[in-house]
Amino acid sequence: MGGATLFSVSDTLASVLLNGLGSIFPQPIHGWLTNPDLILGLAVLIFGAILLAASMINTIVLIWWERKLLGRFMDRRGAMHVGYAGLLQNFADGLKLFRKNTFRPRESDSLGFYAGPVAYMVTSLIIFGILPISSGWNSGALPLSLLLALAIFSFAPLFIFVSAWSSNNKYSLMGGMRSAAQMIAYEVPLLLAVVAVVVVSGSFDLATIVQEQQNYWFWGPLFLALVVFVAGMLAEMERIPFDLPEAEAELVEGWNTEYGGMLFAFFMLADYLRALVGSILVVLLFLGGWTMPGWVPSAATSFPLAGIVWFMVKTYAVFGLFVWIRASLPRVRTDQLLRIGWNRMIPLSLASVFLAAALVLVRCLPVFGCLPSPGV
Amino acid sequence: MTDEATATEKPSDNPILFVAKPMLTAARQFARSLVRPSTVVYPFERLEDPAFRKEVAVAPGKPIGVGAIWDNYRGVHALNINTCISCNLCAFSCPDLCIDMVNVPGGDPKHPKKCPQIDYGKCSYCGFCSDACPEGCLTMTTRYELSTPKRAEMIYSPTRLFEIYRTKLPMNPIRLERPENEDSILLEPPLCIGCNACSRDCPTNCITMVDVTKPEFKPGEKQPRRIWKEPVINDSDCVRCGTCISVCPKECLFWGTRK
Repeated sequence: MGGATLFSVSDTLASVLLNGLGSIFPQPIHGWLTNPDLILGLAVLIFGAILLAASMINTIVLIWWERKLLGRFMDRRGAMHVGYAGLLQNFADGLKLFRKNTFRPRESDSLGFYAGPVAYMVTSLIIFGILPISSGWNSGALPLSLLLALAIFSFAPLFIFVSAWSSNNKYSLMGGMRSAAQMIAYEVPLLLAVVAVVVVSGSFDLATIVQEQQNYWFWGPLFLALVVFVAGMLAEMERIPFDLPEAEAELVEGWNTEYGGMLFAFFMLADYLRALVGSILVVLLFLGGWTMPGWVPSAATSFPLAGIVWFMVKTYAVFGLFVWIRASLPRVRTDQLLRIGWNRMIPLSLASVFLAAALVLVRCLPVFGCLPSPGV
Repeated sequence: MTDEATATEKPSDNPILFVAKPMLTAARQFARSLVRPSTVVYPFERLEDPAFRKEVAVAPGKPIGVGAIWDNYRGVHALNINTCISCNLCAFSCPDLCIDMVNVPGGDPKHPKKCPQIDYGKCSYCGFCSDACPEGCLTMTTRYELSTPKRAEMIYSPTRLFEIYRTKLPMNPIRLERPENEDSILLEPPLCIGCNACSRDCPTNCITMVDVTKPEFKPGEKQPRRIWKEPVINDSDCVRCGTCISVCPKECLFWGTRK
């Protein structure tokens, strides 16, 4: 079976399937079933289903995590009655939204109104097929996976704009316009901050970037880039303080004013899917991914799922930082966002690129240690 | 520095402080909230619980508060059925007409005891009934939980009020100001037929029927059909409930000042 690096998890699944199916079925079916291409296809499908379930469950738990944290920031308790500590509250909310009727405004455009949320959701889900979660969970080890992930990630304003315009509502349209306009402010510094990481690690492959962080994580030497990246990610995810398109107080939820029921649930889920992807990207680029610090005992590191668990702990901690920022800071105006983007974040990100270049030249830092052997 | 102080401060012009100061404030709030959030998880926690209990004397002579509820809170009534004399005064004094006198189980089936039943759908918690109660058996408690899915369950029978009495919640006998010289119950003797209704229904048994001398009638003269007895009211035992006035068939009892 070719493409060992392409679908490493799928390959494992495929061999399991090959052995399992081969022993169950008699000869003619057996021969047909053990066709390697068919098995690989099946394995990819199964892995896709696992990915879908994992990402959805994580997203819903992420909403719970935000509600609990935000509650404590606001001197409340958050969801606490459905399930242990309210863990099942969002599943219940999701079920409620699933059962609700969806209405479309009479003057709205049918195609855009229905296709917008679905496309928004799907593009957010696709990114999960690219992100490596641990050394074994690396569904698509593409050489340019970082670029691909960011490219798909920045599709969203387009679909927001489509669904906002189709809603035929002035608040929705304003929200959609803001979403499109906001992109100008954050996209350039965000990518420049990523360039700093790419310069140091010498690769666009997320798995390679993580492997480059085995001696020290990039957040220390590239702290400037981390700050810019987190700020850019906040704007990209449209979370407070950069939630201009949604703007609950002034725009009545902005581009999802006209949506209800499952279509609203799509938007909501996709928002948190993107928040999850943003947190995962921060962990991958700056916090060493699934690599463990040296002080962790080897018994913990050799545990089968240790890498994934460690990765998810870090992801949820990063999301906790986003919630902390949401609880603390007020929303900025459009002109303030543009000024922050162009006057502050671009110089900072450029400086971080130069710092990264210097780091590559030096290769060794006094406190952190050395980069691993020269990259590509 | 308190929260209020930071909240009213002008935001810093320094971009780092502009972000860092609110975040530190939020983090401090978060840390405090991790120990114990301000929210009282109401059905599971109550302000009366020991965790929230703090006894404060507002002023000398004023009642002592427990938690957020003061002892003079006018909540659901408590009724001591055993000391209730069925005088009806609570029902008379009620401005919302939410009190009915109903039979309580037990006792003499021929003359059952009547005690107040309160409809909390109408009650305005004025406390007049508790004030009017001569025996102090109808008091108001600090109990405030009344919500129920059925309207009929808002009507509390005497038995139910007695159960509340037995929970030994803090009782608040309302005592409003009242005039010094209260009226007595007077009798207009010519109208009385000696029917014994007032004496029978008097809750405090302060009415005794005494014999009156039967006048001489000429033969053939029409005699009034009556019993030759008249009520004598003991003012020191009388609670001025007015039951005798309401039951008198000849309306010969009335309020007045005894000479």
